[in-house]
Amino acid sequence: MTPRLNRLARGLVNSLTQLMLFPAAAFTFAACASTDEPISIGLAGPLAQPHTGSMRQGAELAVAEINAAGGVRGRRIELVMRDDSGSATRAARVARGLADNPAIVAIVGHMTSGPTAAAAPVYNSGTSPVVHVSPSASSTEIADLGPYSFRICPDDRLHAAVLAEWARQEVGANSAAIIYHNSAQGRALSAAFRSYFTRSGGRVSTADPFVTAVADLEPYLTRLRVRGGTDALMIAGEGEDALRVAMAIDSFGVAAAAMGSAGLWSTELSPIPLEGTLVSTHYLPSMLNSRNNEFVVAYKRASGGREPDHRAAATYDVMHLLALAIESAGTARSSLRDYLAGIGTRADAFDGVTGRIAFDTRGNAVGTEVTMAVVRGGRLVAAER
Amino acid sequence: MNLHPTLNTIRSRIILGEAALVTGLVVVAAIGVGALRTLGSTVSGEQETLMRLSGEGNRLVVALLDQVRAGEQYLTDRSSSALESFRSAGVEAHRHRGRLQSYPEWTLSDRIVLGRIGLLQEEAEAFYALAHAQQDLGRRGAALASAAAARTRADSLGDLTREFLANQGKRAEETAAALTETAENGVLSVWTVLAASVIAAAAVGVATLRSVERPLARLASAAQRFGDGDLRPVPLGDMPQELRELTDAMDRLGGTLRNLVAGVVNESDRVAGAAEDLSAISEQLAAAASDISTATSGISADAHQQVDELNASSTSAGGLHQTGDDTLRVSRRVAELGAGIQRLAESYESDVSAVGSALEDLSRFAQTTADQVQELDRLSVPIYEFIDLIKQISSQTNLLALNAAIEAARAGERGVGFSIVAEEVRQLADSSSSAAEQVSGTVKTIRDQVSTMASTMADGRARVLGVGSVSRGLADALASIRQTVGEIESESKRVAHEVSVNLEAINQIQSTLHNALDAARSHATASEEVAAAAEEQGASTEEMAARAGELSRASEKLRGLVREFRA
Repeated sequence: MTPRLNRLARGLVNSLTQLMLFPAAAFTFAACASTDEPISIGLAGPLAQPHTGSMRQGAELAVAEINAAGGVRGRRIELVMRDDSGSATRAARVARGLADNPAIVAIVGHMTSGPTAAAAPVYNSGTSPVVHVSPSASSTEIADLGPYSFRICPDDRLHAAVLAEWARQEVGANSAAIIYHNSAQGRALSAAFRSYFTRSGGRVSTADPFVTAVADLEPYLTRLRVRGGTDALMIAGEGEDALRVAMAIDSFGVAAAAMGSAGLWSTELSPIPLEGTLVSTHYLPSMLNSRNNEFVVAYKRASGGREPDHRAAATYDVMHLLALAIESAGTARSSLRDYLAGIGTRADAFDGVTGRIAFDTRGNAVGTEVTMAVVRGGRLVAAER
Repeated sequence: MNLHPTLNTIRSRIILGEAALVTGLVVVAAIGVGALRTLGSTVSGEQETLMRLSGEGNRLVVALLDQVRAGEQYLTDRSSSALESFRSAGVEAHRHRGRLQSYPEWTLSDRIVLGRIGLLQEEAEAFYALAHAQQDLGRRGAALASAAAARTRADSLGDLTREFLANQGKRAEETAAALTETAENGVLSVWTVLAASVIAAAAVGVATLRSVERPLARLASAAQRFGDGDLRPVPLGDMPQELRELTDAMDRLGGTLRNLVAGVVNESDRVAGAAEDLSAISEQLAAAASDISTATSGISADAHQQVDELNASSTSAGGLHQTGDDTLRVSRRVAELGAGIQRLAESYESDVSAVGSALEDLSRFAQTTADQVQELDRLSVPIYEFIDLIKQISSQTNLLALNAAIEAARAGERGVGFSIVAEEVRQLADSSSSAAEQVSGTVKTIRDQVSTMASTMADGRARVLGVGSVSRGLADALASIRQTVGEIESESKRVAHEVSVNLEAINQIQSTLHNALDAARSHATASEEVAAAAEEQGASTEEMAARAGELSRASEKLRGLVREFRA
């Protein structure tokens, strides 16, 4: 058979196959929708990393509550968890798998900005785009990822502004150094802090990147100590990386007020290295709102007495928000997206444990507040001026 | 085929076929145009995307190279501007990579490559930063090691970028292949639609042809039947409207022909009947003419005979005149002879009267004798009666004597005397009987003799009576002769007179006969003419009969011809 004929034959076979598969696919879809099978929601993040345990617990708590209350539209919620390892490469792969699974109606994730930025184009493209709501991807760079991308956390600039202001006003720092995780989130926070701190009259002496694979921070810290004059040390990193930085700061005797955004803090890790560190956050267990007390109690009960961190609270809120959306708009991906886009405008804003949630036209949470907290006695408590 | 009435015409079928073909062509054209447009927009879209991606990719590569250059430069230069250049190049590179990453066109493998590029960039960046820090701290060896690590990553980055660009090439190839496939699918669709429309048109065409040919064949066979003379209506079945009209026309034609042929058949039957009648009549006429001819011939012959006979009559009339003269002479002679005869008769009359009276006396005597014989016969009757009585007594006595003899035998000795007496008695009885028999015989003889005498007497009387009548007849004959002779005399005289009168009449007859002869001659001539005319008429009649026969045969032939039509 000549190649040309071959292609012709293949084209014909393809057409026929599509013709045959289309009714089959439609039938499968109808069958799924009509049974009492659980509604699947994806949960994507660096789940293997210890500091994200709270995220999973927040999600599971919410799902347990929803299912205990009779599920959504009479159907149970089921979590489909996928680990992106905090890597853009893996995140894209995970996103492809979730988006291609027709049973998945929405995704909670991803956790951080780099993987979220890598995954968002996947969720937003293709024949059947699917919404993903990130609880904590805060990078300024990902403010406009597409119509199916939402996040309920404040932007890094808000954190950076609060941190810069606190460093200047409360710490009285004139010079600040930045050590950032060389990821989208870290770079964004670093850049924002530099911007705000500089604008408010401070000086950023150095901004040094680190990567997980290359975690030797000693030259940076030694240089800071040798040069001296650094009042505040901004750590732009998450979890264990951030913890390592904090520990290194102590080790190499840099006398500066350590500070960073909520990513620093995790109730899943030892709080000791962070003792005294200033943390900007939009959630504290002590926050006063109608739902938070119950949540904290329930979370503590579920997690062996540990308090929820912002990951747990935000993930908990996202789960409940999605449940509400599905209850209102059904399981169809596009109608779910339309409903979410209308929250705060076409639909009422959602009162979550992290506060009142509404979306702007690009899927960013509006009206969120960031406050300063401090690690005190192993707990994250509101910082006092 | 039960189609909608509006579709059941050749016109609509042809339009349908054309429409199918035209529709197919239009669809083909639409598909072609659509495919071309799709191809065009796809090509331009792909081109734009490729240009955008390659532009962004190139800027990323440039920024990465710039960052590496700045990083290397800071290792020797260590000016703040070099540091700033390194930092801003890094920001630029991250920005371009982030922008590249946000494009939805990437495949998963592209994204993975982009992710790895980002990771390598971040690592290289970190190693350069570390090298800078170490350089700042005067740790040249460590700084060189870090820089080497950074360069390793930069090299990998170059490899990855090349891979990425290779992916773009592959992508372009795939796009081209996809476009080719789309185009070929389009071509396939076009061929399919073309084939389908051609098949549809062909099917409609074939259906149309069939719908035309079959009814046409049926029509042809129907026409053939008409031609063969079978004019019965033919059920032609379903067919297009146009042919149906033709069929209707043919039906009407058939109906008209049927009526016509039926009329012709009737008429020919009638003509044939009339011809037969005519033939019969003309034959009769011929026969009659023949008869007339014969009769006329007879008449003609008769007329000739009449003429002959009239001629003969004329001759006879001449003879008659002669005879009349002779008769006159004869009748005068007869009158003379009659007078002689009368005189002779008067002389014999007295003799005859005397004979008559003698005979009457004899007759009276014979009568008397006969009467006496009859008296004798009457008297002999009691004698016979007496004899019978005697015979009866003697028979009784004989029987009695027999009985007595028997009884005497029984008495034996004592009766011997009695038996002798009885025997004597018996002999006596027998003697009485024979005596009576003798008397009877004698009487009978007397009676026979008397009877013979009486009959002789009667015979004699009859002869006497006969002689008397002869004599009376003779007298009468004489008287009659006298009278007749007288009458003959008068008749002779009258005949003589009549003959003289007759002679004149004969003369007249002779002249009349001449006239009649003339008339008869002219009659004969006329009858000959009549005969000729009759013969002529006969000939005409025969000709007419022949013509009638021809007419009859012609009408039969006509009827035969018409009968071939099955109406």
